[in-house]
Amino acid sequence: MSVPHQRSSADPALALQGLFKRFDAKVAVAGIDLDVPAGSFFGLLGPNGAGKTTTLSMAVGLLRPDAGQARILGYDVWADPTAAKSRIGVLPDGVRLFDRLTGTELLAYHGLLRGMDADVVDRRSAELMDVLELGATNRTLVVDYSAGMKKKIGLACAMLHAPRLLVLDEPFEAVDPVSAALIRDILHRYVAGGGTVVFSSHVMAVVERLCSHVAIMAEGTIRVHGTLAQVRGERSLEDVFVEVVGGRTSTGSELAWL
Amino acid sequence: MAVSARHFVRLKLRLTANGLRSQTWRVVLFVLGALMALSWAVVGYAAFSLPGLLDEQRAAEVLLPLGGGVIVLGWLFLPLVFFGVDESLDPARFALLPLPRRTLIKGLFVAALAGVPAVATFAGTLGMVHAAARLGGVAAALVELVGVTTGLLLCVAVSRAVTSAFATALRSRRARDLATVLLAATAALLGPLQLAALAGAQHADWGRVGRVADVVAWTPFGAPYSIGVDLATGRAWAVPVKLALVLASIGLLLWWWSTTVERAMLGPAANARPRQRAATSRGPVAQLVPRWLPRNRFGAIAAREARYWWRETHRRASLITFGVVGVFLPAFVGAASGSAAAPTGMLLLVGALAAVNLANQFGFDGSAYAADVVAGVPGRVELASRVAGFSAYAGPALLVIAVVVGLVTGRPHSIPALVGTLVAAYGTGLAIVLPTSVRAAYALPDTVNPFAMSSGGGLAKGLLSFGALLGAALLTAPLQLGALLLGDVWLWIGLPVGVGYGAAAFALGLRLAGPMLDRRAPELLATVSAAQ
Repeated sequence: MSVPHQRSSADPALALQGLFKRFDAKVAVAGIDLDVPAGSFFGLLGPNGAGKTTTLSMAVGLLRPDAGQARILGYDVWADPTAAKSRIGVLPDGVRLFDRLTGTELLAYHGLLRGMDADVVDRRSAELMDVLELGATNRTLVVDYSAGMKKKIGLACAMLHAPRLLVLDEPFEAVDPVSAALIRDILHRYVAGGGTVVFSSHVMAVVERLCSHVAIMAEGTIRVHGTLAQVRGERSLEDVFVEVVGGRTSTGSELAWL
Repeated sequence: MAVSARHFVRLKLRLTANGLRSQTWRVVLFVLGALMALSWAVVGYAAFSLPGLLDEQRAAEVLLPLGGGVIVLGWLFLPLVFFGVDESLDPARFALLPLPRRTLIKGLFVAALAGVPAVATFAGTLGMVHAAARLGGVAAALVELVGVTTGLLLCVAVSRAVTSAFATALRSRRARDLATVLLAATAALLGPLQLAALAGAQHADWGRVGRVADVVAWTPFGAPYSIGVDLATGRAWAVPVKLALVLASIGLLLWWWSTTVERAMLGPAANARPRQRAATSRGPVAQLVPRWLPRNRFGAIAAREARYWWRETHRRASLITFGVVGVFLPAFVGAASGSAAAPTGMLLLVGALAAVNLANQFGFDGSAYAADVVAGVPGRVELASRVAGFSAYAGPALLVIAVVVGLVTGRPHSIPALVGTLVAAYGTGLAIVLPTSVRAAYALPDTVNPFAMSSGGGLAKGLLSFGALLGAALLTAPLQLGALLLGDVWLWIGLPVGVGYGAAAFALGLRLAGPMLDRRAPELLATVSAAQ
């Protein structure tokens, strides 16, 4: 830690170096090195239990890694959390929202928590509620929202302070096709405007449609990564995925009783 | 294969064992709790067998029903106020299984018996069997054994039925007010008991205590514990009558429990009627943060906390319980003793009890706390604003308590000093509770029962509460001395001194806990959002 890292505009939006996490006896993430270029739409793929959520949690400062570093736009998440955290928006998966607030209250909460000016919070919240079709005058508690609406309000909370990097864990899970199209559209515009999106998923179709870069994780390590074209080659992404992860192939004889 | 109660017991024991696996602090808590229970059991056994060993028949007639009544009351109140109930077998988890209601209730009931508190209670009350044996021989001992066993069943049934009923009532908006009144009424039941105890202790009027005991022995509270002695003293006819009384009470309680369990089994989904609020023209920030709070991080968290103390059932339950207990306890002690000195100790307890509500403040949030971690809120802001949000309820409650106690004791001029005492106790309580809430948080189970605790959680809650109360009692010792020694001067300086003392203690606790939270935020988040 002698020479401070020199920040430059060429810094990757997210840089992970040797990230490692062990839960009791199980190694969840076994040393991950990954660079997410600024301005990219990055898909992190992997089967259930591959360590996607653990990796993203460590990258944004929600979970302390046993070893390794995570840098956001050049700022070390664990050494300089304030600088790093102020530049990202996060949509965690499997994490509750403060769901006893109404949607607008929740947005206001997140905005103020980020140290934003109250007037800006007011303006942007109303706009987000409207664009995401949550209803600007909707006074329902978030706990009574449908699963898709919860994803949308979570996304709105992550985007409210206009971060340069969005880290989204399973943003399309439980979202209906109409809302998914809406979210895709918004994210596309965000990346076109110079933002960076990192998201995890196990839905190939979504990833193929959206991403400029992908990485495939299995058993806590990155198996393949690169631009979509590099990873996919001539084949479909699904074929690559199954081959890399090594899924079980059906013989047709099991579950005969079903 | 028919499902029997045995399966429920094995499931519960398995869940308890798995909960202890590779979790050192849980093992420590479990052992500590077991040791505490064991020591209570030994004390209970010794106390209850004493009249038998001394061959004091009248003493046994008085002690057994009264002691038993206290035990039943303890089972009624302690889960509501301190421990919660061990809901490792959450009824909602059985909703999809094809189980008849009778089987389910029987299973849950028997499983509830397989726990440290139940075993300790049984062991302690066995002292009564010993006493009965000395007084009336084998027959009396056998009858008393039956009595003690039904007594235990009664205790467990009472605690289950009451917590489940309150949980159900607190969930629905219509019944919430009714539940509050009911809780107040049950707390009020403490009154006569305390009066009797105090009167008896002060005047050593054993005749009066004896008459109270004779009455209690004919209520479900004391009946199961008095039948052995009844046989020994030749009132054999009372035995079947009292047993019938107790069994009927147990049956009623179980029936009551089964009706509320059925509603709990429908789960949160069935209870979630969308709460539509009136549309408003105010801006989002104005909707969240009231005008008198700053529109920044502090204001946002304080406002959110204030909402949560009312909107979230876990928190609302502890808030209401505190309010009721906080007003009734000191008022009754004050009324009974007639002096302002006695309630001082009780007020210190109440002030600290208010702070104890925050002992697991992050556990209430669960994984939602991630929002604050991601935003990188400084620890001191986080803690100070949470205290501010809670104080929106605790502050007025403490004021009301001071006024009520001042009026009840007939010394309205002592109200300012009482306020000072309460604030001092609240502040010192916070000083202890804030670091505790960062270091010793635990995850709450994700059920609809606000009194539910995962296995071990009840012990953690109880130990935390008692620890904080004890600490607050020690730290406010100078104030107690001051109040005692200074007499009338204290009435004048009590308010400023108390407020200053409380504020200083709070500032100190915040200074200690803030950096602690900065260092531990991710670990704290992992603890409170642990898989449930």
